[in-house]
Amino acid sequence: MVEAGRSPNIEILTNADLLSLKGKAGNFKADIVQRPRYIIADDCTACGLCTTYCPRHQVDDYNEGLNITRPIHIDYPQAVPATYYIDPRSCLHLTHETCQICVPVCQSKAIDFSQKPEERTLEVGAVIMSPGFGRIPEDTLAKYSFGKHPDVVTSIEFERLLNPSGPFTGEVRCLSDNRHPHKIAFIQCVGSRDIGCDNGYCSSVCCMYAIKEAMVAKEHDPDAEITIYYMDIRTQGKEFDAAQKRAEDKGIKFVRAKVADVMPWGNHLRLTYSTLDGTHSFKPFDMVVLSVGLESPPDADKLADMAGFKLNKYNFCDTDTFAPLATSKEGIYVAGAFNGPMDIPESVTQSSGAAGIASGLIKKQRGRGIIHKSYPDEKELGDEVRIGVFVCHCGINIGSVVDVPDVSNYAGDMDGVVYYTESLYSCSQDAQEVLKEKIKEHDLNRVVIAACSPRTHEPLFQETLKDAGLNRSLFEMVNIRDQCSWVHANEPGAATDKSKDLVRMAVAKARHIQPLPEQTVPVNKTGLVIGGGIGGMTAALNLADQGFNCSLVEKQDSLGGNFKTLSHTKKLIDLVKKNKLVTVYTDAQLQQTNGFVGNFTSIITSGKGAKVKEYTLDHGVIIIATGAREHRPETVLGNTIKYSKKVVTQSELAEQLEGKGKNRAPDSIVMVQCAGSRGDDLNYCSKTCCTTAVQNALRVKEINPDSQVIMLYRDIRTYGYAEDLYQDARQKGVLFIPYELNNKPVIAEKGSKLSVSYFDPILQDDVSMSPQMVALSVGMVPEETDTLSKLLKVPVTADSFFLEAHVKLRPVELPVDGVYVCGLAHSPKPINEIIVQAQAASAKSAMPLVKGYVTVDPIVSNVDKDICIGCKLCTSLCPYQAIQMVKDENNRPKAETIVASCKACGICASHCPTFAISMGGFTNEQLNSQIQAFGQAVMEKETEAA
Amino acid sequence: MAKATKSREGTVMVLGGGIAGVQAALDLTDLGYYVYLVEKSPAIGGVMAQLDKTFPTNDCSL
Amino acid sequence: MSKEEYNPKILGFLCNWCCYAAADAAGVSRYQYPPNLRTIRVMCTGRVDPAFVLRGFVEGADGIFTGG
Repeated sequence: MVEAGRSPNIEILTNADLLSLKGKAGNFKADIVQRPRYIIADDCTACGLCTTYCPRHQVDDYNEGLNITRPIHIDYPQAVPATYYIDPRSCLHLTHETCQICVPVCQSKAIDFSQKPEERTLEVGAVIMSPGFGRIPEDTLAKYSFGKHPDVVTSIEFERLLNPSGPFTGEVRCLSDNRHPHKIAFIQCVGSRDIGCDNGYCSSVCCMYAIKEAMVAKEHDPDAEITIYYMDIRTQGKEFDAAQKRAEDKGIKFVRAKVADVMPWGNHLRLTYSTLDGTHSFKPFDMVVLSVGLESPPDADKLADMAGFKLNKYNFCDTDTFAPLATSKEGIYVAGAFNGPMDIPESVTQSSGAAGIASGLIKKQRGRGIIHKSYPDEKELGDEVRIGVFVCHCGINIGSVVDVPDVSNYAGDMDGVVYYTESLYSCSQDAQEVLKEKIKEHDLNRVVIAACSPRTHEPLFQETLKDAGLNRSLFEMVNIRDQCSWVHANEPGAATDKSKDLVRMAVAKARHIQPLPEQTVPVNKTGLVIGGGIGGMTAALNLADQGFNCSLVEKQDSLGGNFKTLSHTKKLIDLVKKNKLVTVYTDAQLQQTNGFVGNFTSIITSGKGAKVKEYTLDHGVIIIATGAREHRPETVLGNTIKYSKKVVTQSELAEQLEGKGKNRAPDSIVMVQCAGSRGDDLNYCSKTCCTTAVQNALRVKEINPDSQVIMLYRDIRTYGYAEDLYQDARQKGVLFIPYELNNKPVIAEKGSKLSVSYFDPILQDDVSMSPQMVALSVGMVPEETDTLSKLLKVPVTADSFFLEAHVKLRPVELPVDGVYVCGLAHSPKPINEIIVQAQAASAKSAMPLVKGYVTVDPIVSNVDKDICIGCKLCTSLCPYQAIQMVKDENNRPKAETIVASCKACGICASHCPTFAISMGGFTNEQLNSQIQAFGQAVMEKETEAA
Repeated sequence: MAKATKSREGTVMVLGGGIAGVQAALDLTDLGYYVYLVEKSPAIGGVMAQLDKTFPTNDCSL
Repeated sequence: MSKEEYNPKILGFLCNWCCYAAADAAGVSRYQYPPNLRTIRVMCTGRVDPAFVLRGFVEGADGIFTGG
């Protein structure tokens, strides 16, 4: 978010509503109105003084109304924009024309009650709709005593209770009497899978977040007794089952039951539930958490009307399986929960995908709207070190604890410091101007700022340095707020001493700072896509749409992968063949890849037998779309399986059902879910099998309505809208019978007859039958990930799927820069999710190609080849493969940093036996001088004490 | 009521500043486009900003 | 604070991505802790050469803290 706030090319319009949206793809006109904040954003320094003076209270929406705030406030300290605002619903001046206490209190005169709503018309080429989701209406929650008893909370409220910035600063307490709840119940599917409130769909995310919340609650209080009441545990995502297993191991109880109601019961709550065997039971709890689903956003109708696209029957955006990010109106795309309930990684993936398609649509205008900043030339430094020290009061944040003038004067006495001063807010816009002036006036060539955290503010100050003609490396920041005044609020003397020490250490380092050049490496603007299935073809076409050449490498003799028979696949194959920017290699294998982001060289072989040819391809990025194949386990749930016409996999059944004649749908069939999955043979859930099985069951019933279809399952995972299919199948008479792992179904063949026996929990008895067919819902296993992972030096999970760089925020990027993954090679998923991921991977991979060069942060490692003895210790230690061995002019081996791959961790520098490696901004000299300056403080104190 | 029209080629409007909107906006700038990120509340971040353990750790502050 | 009270001088090496971030978060939450620590930010604790630790002791540190 901070990044979005800082980008010169994103204009954030908060407090803004869309009034109208007209036009067509490539040329839209959007009227928006921005409601006033009553605070001048540029002047507000977010010091918070106004809130302490504001006399009025109001509920804190950010904390779900669980505590109170003031009308003038900021939701949370890291909010972007970091500007306070006045809530017109409760401000005394805006409701009763009185008060205005805040106006004189604000030292930066940022409060402006004269602000009016501002209308603007935006002309844009494309639109991405990401309005998120709405809340389940409270009347749906009423049967659980929500609103009647304060200890019945929603899962979002519970999030706030768990959060350190929440109402009880991270302590979980009952809202009724502040006690710590000992017994906590989670009720799943509140407002989801519930036709009563018209939400037939499954919200897909609640099982997983309930497990997460339960685990965190357990961390807060290991003795807490937590029970999750569920219908099916839907942890179908990548590695989600493992998380559920961990929760069980931690003692969280999972009970398959329907909760009838929750009633106040003395100090407690009484929860009534019924289990599968028909028993009704009740249990007391201290707190009940409702795992509320995701509703369509409240203004969905209005938005769809205004923009002219369609909604589905649940009021989410209507999209097609094969174009999952396009609304029904060209040029308007959709991402996130408005496109159906989904979790964070899926939302992030959709966003990247939507950005990529929008980019393809208006690629002719690429770069025209972008603002490129220019900077003055860097000035000559000269030999003399001239340090300027700026100590910040941060309003009263630092100044009320640390004696800022004392620290500033102390800095003035240090060697090399030619200028020192204090400022009220060194981050404010006018302070940047002062900083620039002082650099010029005193010819400063090193700047030390003692203020807040470099993690948040270093880029801002470095930007100012660049504006002043200084290299951005000539800067050191001292954290005397987050790590000093705030944490030693009651010890002003000690905090001042600490500030002085830290300033002295920073000045000591600053004396040794040298300017570091900004390095850039040009990029080869072509892509390499490995795998020619739906994912790979989508990714390749998408790259071509964005204007880039790419090679598509397929190991089989034709494109199409697992879904060759789909008409969509045929369409894709056609498009790929026609596209001039895509070069297809079939019967092809990747043999070798060298290089780094922007500059890869790969060798591939293509062709069969004697016709095998070798090709060398230069490319800037790699997309892995190698897919997965059906797993055919030899034993299923302890039964030895002989595949035949009677014992088939779901995909074989689907193929049979595609044929002709009524006989293709058997009179009786037993489907066995999780055959070889979820710990049986494979450890994971393959995500798609439940939906496929239900689709097949429906198809059987459609062709042969009298057919007896029985599905034996552990959890039916028809998440999202697929829940409709499940409901439909139940209504059409498909029998769904859960089995437990301690009592698995037995599949046997006696002569020519099949026999299946299982325990029926409703009858509470064993049942045996002889179906005509058994269909096994087998999972999928990734294709050849081990070879590729070695070739490309990218990691895989324990289940052999590729491991993304960050599960939530970088779901299609691999840890090696310039390498991306999509489709089944990442994890099992249905076609629409494969397509989204392919679109996201191509969007992400287009970024370095668009930019044309890769910038390297100058903090990377640097090998002094004169000192390097070529021992290769660093190359073996580098976790990013960022050091390579090269030969010098005398043919001696020397280490060399691949700057584009280096992450600046410094492991090489700290292990180099000859100190040949230095880290930009963190050299031995700099760190040693910091340590030495630390030592001076010790000396001074000892002298004082003596 | 102030009214201003801004015309700029190669721009995209992203409506909604939650995690999806913010990500789309960032990606669009990286692909070479100027973005208007339109959010109805006073700050971007959406529901993600309310979640424990994904926020405000360095992990997810984006 | 009495002079008899043990008041160690601790030097800390903090990883920019985790421990330094956590120390910032402690500040945001206003957690109070003793003011004995002086920190040096590094991009990763992998940068911490054992020599730095020894040097810290030579310079008079009573303890060295590495957080990453």
